[in-house]
Amino acid sequence: MSGEESDFNQSDQNDWLEIDPQTEIISVISPDIVEPDVIPPKTEKDDKNKNKNLNLSPGSAAKRKKILRALKDGVDVSELQSFAINRGGLLTNELRKQVWPKQLGVKLSEITPKPDEDMLHGHRDYDQVVMDVNRSLKRFPPGMDDDERFALQDILVDVIMRVLVNNSELHYYQGFHDICVTFLLVVDEDVAFAIVEKLSQKHLRDFMDADMDRTKHMLNYLYPIIDKASPQLCEYMERAETGTIFCLSWLITWYGHVLNDIKHIVRLYDFFIACHQLMPIYLAAAIVLYRQDEILETECEMCFIHSLLSRIPDNLPFEQLISKAGDLYLQFPPEDLASEAEFRSQENDNRAKRQRANGVAKLHQWSWRNNIRWVSTHMPNYGRRHYLLTTAVAAVVTAALCYSTTDWGWIEWNWF
Amino acid sequence: MSSHQSIDQSREVKPSSGAVKIVEKQAQRRIFKIIVIGDSNVGKTCLTYRFCSGKFPDKTEATIGVDFREKTVDLDGEQIKLQLWDTAGQERFRKSMVQHYYRNVHAVVFVFDVTKMSSFENMPQWIEECDRHNLDKNLPRIFVGNKCDMKDKIAVNTNLAQKFADSHNMPLFETSAKDDEKANHVDAIFMTMAHKLKNAKPMMSPHMSRYTPGETREVINVRASPHHRGLQSINPNEEKTDNCAC
Ligand SMILES: Nc1nc2c(ncn2[C@@H]2O[C@H](COP(=O)(O)OP(=O)(O)OP(=O)(O)O)[C@@H](O)[C@H]2O)c(=O)[nH]1
Ligand SMILES: [Mg+2]
Repeated sequence: MSGEESDFNQSDQNDWLEIDPQTEIISVISPDIVEPDVIPPKTEKDDKNKNKNLNLSPGSAAKRKKILRALKDGVDVSELQSFAINRGGLLTNELRKQVWPKQLGVKLSEITPKPDEDMLHGHRDYDQVVMDVNRSLKRFPPGMDDDERFALQDILVDVIMRVLVNNSELHYYQGFHDICVTFLLVVDEDVAFAIVEKLSQKHLRDFMDADMDRTKHMLNYLYPIIDKASPQLCEYMERAETGTIFCLSWLITWYGHVLNDIKHIVRLYDFFIACHQLMPIYLAAAIVLYRQDEILETECEMCFIHSLLSRIPDNLPFEQLISKAGDLYLQFPPEDLASEAEFRSQENDNRAKRQRANGVAKLHQWSWRNNIRWVSTHMPNYGRRHYLLTTAVAAVVTAALCYSTTDWGWIEWNWF
Repeated sequence: MSSHQSIDQSREVKPSSGAVKIVEKQAQRRIFKIIVIGDSNVGKTCLTYRFCSGKFPDKTEATIGVDFREKTVDLDGEQIKLQLWDTAGQERFRKSMVQHYYRNVHAVVFVFDVTKMSSFENMPQWIEECDRHNLDKNLPRIFVGNKCDMKDKIAVNTNLAQKFADSHNMPLFETSAKDDEKANHVDAIFMTMAHKLKNAKPMMSPHMSRYTPGETREVINVRASPHHRGLQSINPNEEKTDNCAC
C-alpha cells in the first residue's frame, strides 16, 4: 500500500494550517460572546416564551440564536457543522429541519419528483424494504396512533424506494430503513428523501455496494483505535474473539437501530452528518472504552462480550462520548490507522479462507485501489478541501470541548 | 472457545473496588451453540425469542448482523446452556458478515416460511453456506417450517418439505412461533436438539474446545408420516410431545 493510495480522508497538514483553530473554538463554544439579535423577536417576552416552550436552558437558547443567525446570514456550512458537532448539537427539530438540508447541500427547490408507483414497486429490493418497514414499529413514537403510523410507514417505503430507483448503483441493506425513518420523523417526505439520497452518495455509500466488503473494512478500524487507547482492553476483546459484528448495526444505522430514545438518535445524526464517514466507528470505540470495566469483568468469551456490548444502555453520557469520539479521531486519524486496519482485513480474510478449507467461494479482497473511489465520490459537492477544513475545525472544536470542560449538565433536550 | 462456563458467584465485586475477586467455581455448565439460519422474514428472531423468553415478541425488527439469546435447560438433572445465534437473513449479510459465527457451532437450525415458497427454494443455498464454512456434515441439523398458524396461506406442501429434509438427513418440524398453542412445540424442537447434543457426547471434557461429533453418533431423523408428523422426543417421559399436524 502506498501513501497516495491511502485513505478515507486524506487530510494533509496544509488544510489544517490555513485555519486558526483557536479562533474557531472560541467563536463556537464561548457562550459569552455578545451578539446582536439578528432575528428580532416580536417582543422580548415572545422570545423568552419560545425558549421556555422549547425547554432550552440559557446556554442552549443562546446557541439557538446563533444557529438562527447563521442560517439567516447565508450558508456558511462549516459554521453549521460546528454547531452540529458541539455540545447539544442542533438542539431542536425545528432547527434540524433547516440545518440538515444546508449541511448536505440539499436544495429544496431542486428535489427530484417522485417516480410513479410502478417504478417504485418494481425495484429488486422492494419486497425486502416492505418486510423491514413492516417490522419498524419500535422506531415510531409510542403514542402515535395506528393510522398515522401506517401512513408514515407507507411514506417510508416510498422514501427508500425513491433513493434506490434514482440511484441504480445503490443496493438496499437492512438498516437503511432505520436511517430513513429517523429523518422522516423530523422532516417532510420530500426533504427526507433528498437528505437520505445525499447521504447515500456520501457517508452511507460504502454500505450500499452489492456486497459488504467495504462495510467490513470500515469495521476493521475499530480495534486499532481501541488498541491505541487501551491495549489491555483490546487484547482482552481479541482474546475472546469478540469480532466486530456487535457494532455492525451501530455503524450502518448510525445507532438508529440500537438506541431507544429518539432524541439521542437525532443528536448523533447531527454529529455524523457533520463528520467523516468513519465517525460512527470512533464513537463505537468511545463507547467500548467507556464500558471497559464492565467488559473486563465479563468472562473472556465472544458470546458474553458480544451480548454485553450489542445492547447499548440508555443512560450513557452521549455528549461526553461524542467529545471522546472527536478526540479519538484527532489523536488517531483514519490515515494513521489505515495500514493496521488493512492488516486486519487480510487477517480476517485469511482466517475465513482457512475456515473454508475447500474454498468454494473466494471473498472479494479489499484493496486500497478500490478505495480511491472514496475520495472522489464521497466528498460533498462543495469541494474536498472545504470538507476537510470543516472536518478539521469540527474535530478541533470537539477535542477542545473535551478538554475544556467536564460539565455537561447544561445540555437540554427538546423533542416533539 | 470453551464449551463450559464457570459459574462465577462474585460478579458484584468490582475490580475497581480493590477487593480481591473470589471466584467460586461451583460447577461446570455445558454450553451448546446453535446457529439459526434462513431467509429474511421467515421468523428466526421470533422462534428464538419464543424459546428463550416464552412469548411471541410484540415488535420484532429486522436482525442486523447477529443477535444472541440463551436459555438454560434442565436435561436429566444436568443444567445445560443453549446459546442461540440468531442471524440476519438478507443475502448480503450471509455472504460476508456472519462467518465468524459459524465457528464452533454444535448444531444448525434451518428455518423457512411455510407461506413463502422462495424461502423454501433457497434452502439449498443455506445448506451450501454451511458446507462453505466447513461445518461438519454430521453436526445435528434440523429443518423448521415456521408460520403454520397461517393455514390458508400455506404454500410449501408438507410432502415436498419432508422429501427435502429426508434427502439431507434432517428431521422436519412444522411449527409456529406465533401460535401460543404451539409454544410447547417450539420448546420441544429445541429440547430435542439439546438431548441429541447431550447424548452424543455425555462426558465432554471441560477443556474441550470444540464439540467433535464421533463417527458412531447416530443422525437424528425424526420421521413421521405427513399425517402424524412432528416431534419424537428422545426421552418421552421428559418432554411432553406435541404432535403438530399443521
Ligand atoms: N403468522 C406468523 N407470523 C410470524 C411467525 N413468526 C414470525 N412471524 C412474523 O414474520 C415476520 C418476520 O419475523 P422475524 O422473526 O423478524 O424474521 P427473521 O427470520 O428473524 O428475519 P431477518 O431478521 O430479516 O432475517 C414478523 O413480522 C413476525 O411477526 C409465525 O409463526 N406466524
Ligand atoms: Mg431476525
